[in-house]
Amino acid sequence: MAAVDAAGSDAAGFEPHGLDEDEFYRRVQSFSFWFEAVEGYLADRPYGYDPATVDEPLEEPRRQAVITTLCNYCVGEAAALEASSGMVALAPNHNARIFMATQVADEARHLEVFLHRLRELGVEDPETEVAQRATPNIVAFKERLGQLVAAGDWEAAVLAQNVILETMEFTVFRHHSLTADPITKQVLDGVVADERRHLGFGENDLGRRLFEHPEHRPRLTELKHELDALVLGSFDATYSQLGLDASERPDLGRDYLAAVERLGLVS
Amino acid sequence: MADFLSQYSIQRWMEACPQGYLEDTVFGHEEGLAEPPELLDNELLLESTIGSTVQLVVGERAALAASSGLVNAAPDYASKRFLATQTLDEARHVEIFTQRLYDLGVKPEDLESTIDRFANPNLVKFAEVLLEKVEAGDFVAGVVGQNIVLEGMAFTVFELFEAASREANPKFAQTLTGTIADERRHVGFGENRIGELITRYPEKKPEIEKMQKEMSYHMLATFADAFSSSGASIEEGRRLAANAAQAEGKEAANTNWHGANLAMASPDELEAVLSDTVLGEFKVRLGRIGLEYQSPLAPV
Repeated sequence: MAAVDAAGSDAAGFEPHGLDEDEFYRRVQSFSFWFEAVEGYLADRPYGYDPATVDEPLEEPRRQAVITTLCNYCVGEAAALEASSGMVALAPNHNARIFMATQVADEARHLEVFLHRLRELGVEDPETEVAQRATPNIVAFKERLGQLVAAGDWEAAVLAQNVILETMEFTVFRHHSLTADPITKQVLDGVVADERRHLGFGENDLGRRLFEHPEHRPRLTELKHELDALVLGSFDATYSQLGLDASERPDLGRDYLAAVERLGLVS
Repeated sequence: MADFLSQYSIQRWMEACPQGYLEDTVFGHEEGLAEPPELLDNELLLESTIGSTVQLVVGERAALAASSGLVNAAPDYASKRFLATQTLDEARHVEIFTQRLYDLGVKPEDLESTIDRFANPNLVKFAEVLLEKVEAGDFVAGVVGQNIVLEGMAFTVFELFEAASREANPKFAQTLTGTIADERRHVGFGENRIGELITRYPEKKPEIEKMQKEMSYHMLATFADAFSSSGASIEEGRRLAANAAQAEGKEAANTNWHGANLAMASPDELEAVLSDTVLGEFKVRLGRIGLEYQSPLAPV
């Protein structure tokens, strides 16, 4: 599909500087733009990886560790799927609504590729396995995010999902990708590319809103502190499940906090 | 059930839709196609076309709200994933029909006021009945309302529009062809998934049948409104099509749709054939999932 912008160039050579603000958002939050973006890194990669990739046999402790980790990723992705679908109705305009619809499909794809990978790793019933291995903190995060969406609080939902959850996943997946087996690595890299788009939307949308309505800042800052505790707690719980002691644990918490801080939205 | 739902994965959707029948399209049609100049230059026809396109946007906005709202209510991941693809399909439909309004000359800043001006109140009520079920988290009623009733209506209306536009407006006809392919998938999911749930929860039948009756009433009222005021624009469209055919030395299109000659049928005949076709589809599809079709009251 060729998405053509106002200047007549397609998304591959997208030149945003010639567009006015409204036209810019209409383009970058459209189905066509989404498809151009994902086609670049998902074409010929069913379930997120090149089918010619040779799967690396994993020793049992490592296989179990990957399964536990992917189960926790599935909870995060299910949270994002349910939240983003609920946020379609909350979106303040049609461009944001269409972007959120593209995010719904992205999150569903992430869930699908992780569940598929779990099956490839020998898990017969991934949904049951996810329920058994999920850490309480990530489950609590999912519930809290669902509450924010159900309450119709767009700003809080964007912060929780498109800033906090996406930053957490972005940080964890990138780190995991460095040491992952070849197939899991490709799956994670494709997911990270999506997360970057979602995070960009969150940063942009919330940044503009906080500029126009600084009165939202105190409550969002409070919410961030509440959610930070769940994110950091989920890191710790996963490390414990994996049997890593303190010296072996990557400092994902610090990376996550620094990444959110860099956005400068709430602190 | 698992095997059937595996046919509705994101992976399948990617291969069938964006990488399949939408490949090399721009807003659902071949690049370079435009609305016919004789439509854009004719005030009566243009206003009528904007009006009918607004109804498509209203219907697709309702479908987007419903499919996204049903993701949370879905009882399993596989259904959630299918509804995620449907959410994106419906968002695409909103986008392409909105783009058509822009192509017809509606300015982006006038979009909402144009929709408010032309949206048929009965179609809005039709959507409200469905969205009430979705907001209540009623998955079974929501999917019947969305994937059987709303999609069944949209599917047939799109087929009629596609048949009527094939010769005179290939851009719009192509746009509709992609949406028809999407709707076919959605209806298929509704029939397969809900049949099993209706068997499991038979106590839900009366409430769902009542919803279908109500939605059908508002749909018929929408059709009645639309056709009662469309005589002059239909005639104008036929006149222009005949002129265009004559200028090219061809015979005017004589498309037959479910027994009606689209070049000659009166608005009343068109309304009757559309209503009968949609209601006939409802009967068949509802029967397949174990529900009994309820005849709506005739709109005044």
